[in-house]
Amino acid sequence: MAKNPIRHLYVHIPFCAKLCPYCSFHVETAMRNKSQRFLDALLIEIERQAGAFKIEPETIYFGGGTPSALSLSQLEFLLPRLRERFDPGRLVEFTFEINPATVSAEKARLLRALGVNRISMGVQSWDDSVLKTLGRAHTAAQSQRTFDTLREAGFDNINIDLMFAIPGQSHEQWMRTLEKTGALQPEHVSAYCLTYEEDTEFFRKLQTREFAQDENRDADFYEITMDALGAAGYVHYEVSNYAKPGRESLHNFAYWDGRDYLGIGPSAFSTVGAQRWQNVPDSRDYADRIFAGDSTASFTEQLSDATKLGETLAFGLRTNRGVPVSAITPWREQMREFRELGLLENSNGRLVLTRKGKLMADAVAEAFV
Amino acid sequence: MSIERTRNFCIIAHIDHGKTTLSDRLLQVTGTVADREAQDQHLDAMDLERERGITIKMHPVAMRYRAKDGHVYKLNLLDTPGHVDFAYEVSRSLAACEGALVIVDAAQGVEAQTVANVHLANKQGLTIIPVINKIDLPNSDIPTVKRQLEDILSIPAEEAILASAKVGLGIEEILEAVIHRIPAPKKWDDEKVRALVFDSTFDSYRGVVTYVRMMSGSLRAGDGVKMMSNNRPYEVKEVGVFTPKMEAREKLEPGDTGYVIANIKASSEIKIGDTLTGTKFPATQPLPGFQEIQPMVFSGVYPINTADFEHLKAAMAKLQLNDSSFVYQAESSVALGFGFRCGFLGLLHMEIILERLRREYDMDIIATYPSVIYEVLKTNGEMLNVDNPEFLPDFSVIDEIREPIVKCFIMVPNEYISPLMQLIMDKRGVLDHTETLDTKRVMLSCVMPLAEILVDFNDKIKSITRGYGSMDYEHAGHRADKLVKLDILVNGEPVDAFSSIVHRDKAEGRGRQLAAKLKEVIPTQLYQVAIQAAIGGKIIARESVSAMRKDVTAKCYGGDISRKRKLLEKQKEGKKRMKSIGKVNIPQEAFIEVLKSS
Ligand SMILES: Nc1nc2c(ncn2[C@@H]2O[C@H](COP(=O)(O)OP(=O)(O)OP(=O)(O)O)[C@@H](O)[C@H]2O)c(=O)[nH]1
Ligand SMILES: C[S@@+](CC[C@H](N)C(=O)[O-])C[C@H]1O[C@@H](n2cnc3c(N)ncnc32)[C@H](O)[C@@H]1O
Ligand code: SF4
Ligand SMILES: [Mg+2]
Repeated sequence: MAKNPIRHLYVHIPFCAKLCPYCSFHVETAMRNKSQRFLDALLIEIERQAGAFKIEPETIYFGGGTPSALSLSQLEFLLPRLRERFDPGRLVEFTFEINPATVSAEKARLLRALGVNRISMGVQSWDDSVLKTLGRAHTAAQSQRTFDTLREAGFDNINIDLMFAIPGQSHEQWMRTLEKTGALQPEHVSAYCLTYEEDTEFFRKLQTREFAQDENRDADFYEITMDALGAAGYVHYEVSNYAKPGRESLHNFAYWDGRDYLGIGPSAFSTVGAQRWQNVPDSRDYADRIFAGDSTASFTEQLSDATKLGETLAFGLRTNRGVPVSAITPWREQMREFRELGLLENSNGRLVLTRKGKLMADAVAEAFV
Repeated sequence: MSIERTRNFCIIAHIDHGKTTLSDRLLQVTGTVADREAQDQHLDAMDLERERGITIKMHPVAMRYRAKDGHVYKLNLLDTPGHVDFAYEVSRSLAACEGALVIVDAAQGVEAQTVANVHLANKQGLTIIPVINKIDLPNSDIPTVKRQLEDILSIPAEEAILASAKVGLGIEEILEAVIHRIPAPKKWDDEKVRALVFDSTFDSYRGVVTYVRMMSGSLRAGDGVKMMSNNRPYEVKEVGVFTPKMEAREKLEPGDTGYVIANIKASSEIKIGDTLTGTKFPATQPLPGFQEIQPMVFSGVYPINTADFEHLKAAMAKLQLNDSSFVYQAESSVALGFGFRCGFLGLLHMEIILERLRREYDMDIIATYPSVIYEVLKTNGEMLNVDNPEFLPDFSVIDEIREPIVKCFIMVPNEYISPLMQLIMDKRGVLDHTETLDTKRVMLSCVMPLAEILVDFNDKIKSITRGYGSMDYEHAGHRADKLVKLDILVNGEPVDAFSSIVHRDKAEGRGRQLAAKLKEVIPTQLYQVAIQAAIGGKIIARESVSAMRKDVTAKCYGGDISRKRKLLEKQKEGKKRMKSIGKVNIPQEAFIEVLKSS
């Protein structure tokens, strides 16, 4: 048994009503797999892990796919039983990802009652034409209603996911989405530049030149985002994340800090010490393995100290905490070059990305891998 | 089977007139290839040939045909390429034959390579059988083609066989004509082995496979043989014929076309055009052979990965064995490291060799802008041959630079004469004379710099004449002109791979074009990149690539960490594979794009 208790728990719920054309997460649209058997498998996996590790989570994150696709009765079944399988005494942040199309007032109240205290909501845009390009199942009005519903249900910690640099999206359209978001005052905003992930419809369209990517245009989007959300009172604390002071996502910080986390469910990653593994990315296969008593891991990786350090620096640098100057001694020369280029700056003994540097985080992080 | 019932013939024509398609039909009708095995362009066995729809190498095939006279004949066919770069393949094929089928496309009519190839066949004294192919085409014009045969090629029109290789018309008639019109191979009065080596390939298990035409004597496994040029002895391991794949036979007889595998290990041991003879009763005189071909186009070929230099060398050696017209020699470049200066017959030949190195030998390579060989006369009277702009001496010691010129023959329909004259002028050509071929077409004879016709001259003729113009050329020595060296500088450092020798009047345009292209293909970097084109230190064009503004992944969470790390590793690896010049990373693709565009 590992000495250090697991403080961060992730649960993957892979089901979505339909596959978004840009999405590369492990997603399944066959709702018949969203079964009791699947829920049982999740509970068995956590039970098993509780035998191997001491699980005392400070944060829990239900991600997807669409965790809100679980029905009321499934939620009522799963969440309490999950908590029975570890010590929830230290739990401070319990996030649930939702799709605006799948949350009723009743579901919102239930989630709140079951201990969920943070919601991450996939709004993407407040512009219906952009939502259409993205192939989203909901309208902006629906997102607005769901946001109100969540507030009414008592959620005082809500994140809104947004995406920019979408094909056909103008800078003005994006500015209006940012303004509208600022007006709603969620506690947290994740604003992602659209990534053309391999094996997605968007990627294919990029290759056939139906879509085009433009570095300068994307950079302008980033700048607009930093300006607008800064003005609306948010702290830019990670490349794509903005929060009201004190409302940063604790769970995500754990990843960026290189701390241990346990992932439950198909396709979920775990990292404990030098060990990293991923569960099979298929809910049936996953459940079959659980019931057969087999390992669910389909990918494992032993992280060397150097790799782990490189990762921690590369990802730590993405946050506003940066990395301690003392940790980068082996890369001093390169870091000096980045400083001269105005990408990095020294802030109280820590190296942090400048505003310009935030757009160049990969170029800098590359040095560490 | 007796030599009287053997016929050796090749198929020659202008590019795309249907040589390979007709060969397919002959293979099918003679049952050489079963119907179920038959596929279009059967003989174009290389992937590259199939993809491009053109023949690159000659292809021998041995067929058996029961003629109307009731006898079975051995027919040895050689399909040849039509493209002008591969004229050497044609001339070697002709040397292995007694006759040639000259194919003329019924819609296109006689074109420049038809004329050139018929001249070659005539010079060799071959019997010519004219075939008017593609008569199934709605726009075929048989009377015109017949008139052209007479007027342009001096071939009696009544000899022409009307055929369609595609739908299978006239095939029997062609086979019968081969038997009746083409003479059987000449009989020698002794039985000494005289085998003309007209091609070779390399097999990694069996070594060198030599393609031979048996003029006299027989060969079988176990026989002692030697090459007449160097008297090196070998023992024959296997003989056989092409059906079209290699098929072992007990022996090769006089008149046969086939292959010999002896214990020949290295490509350098044999010479195409050599005579193979027996060690016991050797021939005293070698067969005529053929004139060695000189490469005309040169380019530096470099491994992307410096560690691949030795691999590349080995790959080139093997390719050379399959293609003796390709030559190479080690050289080095500041920008590209260690590589080879390679000589090719033409630009298509160059493209093909590069593509084969990439595909068949899995080499990551880049090639510099193709150059011709310049004669440089220095003020001290010394004469240099320069095939690489880097070796051009300082202009202060150059008296004059002479570039290779060609005599170019362009056949065009009358209505396109004036735009073609314009094209010839743009390409620094001088019209020598115009000859009326028939009522519709003329032949423009002009003298042009080889460097100008290399790249897109043929394409331009095609597009100006909607496909009805064609050209052929022959080398015609050197001529002095106002030539300068154009350099490209990246952040102040010259990139030797991009240097070229160009005509003074064209240097600025080309400099601007190169700089603009580089701006397009050099990816943004951490720093701004300055690109300049210069002639003798004078900057004539400049561009800049502004510094990179965005290089960041939007998302990275628990699940993504390994993947993201790997992406970063890959990105870093990618930069290592780029050539770094003056702190600027230039990806391989950028070199290729620029070298391609120019
Ligand atoms: N309609 C028609 N098309 C033909 C006929 N013979 C050949 N073709 C077409 O003409 C094109 C060129 O045919 P090939 O047989 O590859 O010509 P080639 O002379 O071998 O060409 P190179 O080897 O590149 O010089 C192909 O698209 C053939 O399908 C014919 O009798 N009728
Ligand atoms: C795993 S999704 C979960 C949310 C929920 N499934 C939904 O889409 O509403 C988390 C967020 O990632 C972002 N995202 C997904 N695919 C992306 C892509 N290709 N590029 C940028 N952001 C993306 C979207 O903003 C999405 O809301
Ligand atoms: S709803 Fe979310 S997880 Fe599901 S396919 Fe769309 S972006 Fe991916
Ligand atoms: Mg062909």
